[in-house]
Amino acid sequence: MSAQMRDAEAPSAEPVGIAIEGVSKAFGPVQALVDIDVNVRAGEFLSLIGPSGCGKTTLLKAIAGLMPVDAGRVVVGDRVVSGPGRECSVVFQDFALLPWATVQSNVEFGLLLRGVPAPERAATARRAIAKVGLAGSFEQAYPAQLSGGMQQRVGLARALAVNPQVLLMDEPFASIDEQTRRVFQDDLLSLWSEERKTVVLVTHSMEEAIYMSDRVVVLSPRPGRVHQVLEVPLPRPRELRDVRATADFARLVDGLWQILRKLQ
Amino acid sequence: MTLEPAHDSDLGPVGLVAVAGLLLVSELLGRLDVSIFLPPASRVAVAWWGLITDGTLFRAASSSLASLVKGFLSAAVLGVLVGLAMGRFKTVRYLLDGWVNALMSAPLSALVPVLIALFGVRDTVVVATVFMFSFFVIVVNTLTGVRGTDRSLVEMARAFGAGEVALFGRVYLPAALPAVMLGLRLGAVQAVKGMVVGEMLISLVGLGERLIYYGNTFLITELYAVIVSVLLIAIIASQLVQACERALVRWK
Repeated sequence: MSAQMRDAEAPSAEPVGIAIEGVSKAFGPVQALVDIDVNVRAGEFLSLIGPSGCGKTTLLKAIAGLMPVDAGRVVVGDRVVSGPGRECSVVFQDFALLPWATVQSNVEFGLLLRGVPAPERAATARRAIAKVGLAGSFEQAYPAQLSGGMQQRVGLARALAVNPQVLLMDEPFASIDEQTRRVFQDDLLSLWSEERKTVVLVTHSMEEAIYMSDRVVVLSPRPGRVHQVLEVPLPRPRELRDVRATADFARLVDGLWQILRKLQ
Repeated sequence: MTLEPAHDSDLGPVGLVAVAGLLLVSELLGRLDVSIFLPPASRVAVAWWGLITDGTLFRAASSSLASLVKGFLSAAVLGVLVGLAMGRFKTVRYLLDGWVNALMSAPLSALVPVLIALFGVRDTVVVATVFMFSFFVIVVNTLTGVRGTDRSLVEMARAFGAGEVALFGRVYLPAALPAVMLGLRLGAVQAVKGMVVGEMLISLVGLGERLIYYGNTFLITELYAVIVSVLLIAIIASQLVQACERALVRWK
């Protein structure tokens, strides 16, 4: 296959690493992040957890290039972040779907902004919609007609449609009910094992952090610093093994709780 | 009877009952000869028919409607543009906010003599009055719509690489559209007011001139016939904008 054809089919999206080097950020007099150093390995699933207001979302926005930092720098792949870049896609806590656009148009939105021609846009979006399990009768629906879980699947499809190397997720399951959330987490894990993207997940759920991640970064309360980095040595694929029911899982969640409890 | 939330369409018959009741009361009061200023509805209807058949109403209304359309369309275009600019650019907002707020609540009829001095006693004054009456409410609603755009949609679009132009066209504009359409609807009703006020003050052309004439000559049934015509124009103008709104804002 020629290089040209490969490009036309799917731009190669080898996962890239992220280096967060000495990042600090203040909002007026409030110090949000102090001297954060984190290295996210290429293809890793990493979670950021910490007490409310510890700056985990701020850190995610810094990686996304949505928020300039006061000191230090973020490097995604070999690009020093100074604004939003093509490597990253963001999945938002409140879904951030355009209420006036159909599911299909919402998923096409990122491609549209990147100047992808209409027929290719439609086909790529349809594939992304199928990947997140919404294919069939939802393409022409408006977001308001969908449940929260389905809306977030649209948000995920929109993020995947641009074929990013890094997926940044800001509490994506926070406003979704428990049953839907578990199914969605499993679907995300199996998608991730097929697509091998670098994932940074902001969460306040200890179970979610342990269940999903290779490593969990615990941030301290404001001002946010890296308090501890926890390895999660649970075997994969976890979604096929009832990992949540194992003693190892319970022990790891409890370990995380012991750390977080002292931080409150 | 209970008061339950109902859809607008369910209330159609209630509205008809209200109109019928009003007509009935006016007919009864008119027949009782309470005052020459309360003619029975049936005589107003006869006078109305007379004004339609002898062409008076058509002549007056065509002049009025021409001013209304010219004034309202220019207010709509300029009002939306100014509102968008004020919504997106702080400098423009700081510059114009005081003026817009002051003029929106000011008794604008007071300015009509100034317009007469500027343009002379011509129908241009009516166009300008229509513009003045509808412009500010369109500006303020557009501004509110732009300012009310969901911050997370803006952030999302930026995350996917939207520049200023894309942000404006793909996020701010569609987000503001429902508020813009509401502003146009309110503006259309204000425009009819401006039309009548302008025409009454220059007393030269249109339905406003007829109102003054029939009022001064105590042709009360004809006066009411013109008032009803003006009301109908206001309702039709508002309904036309609403029809556009429904076609454009299908997702609500």
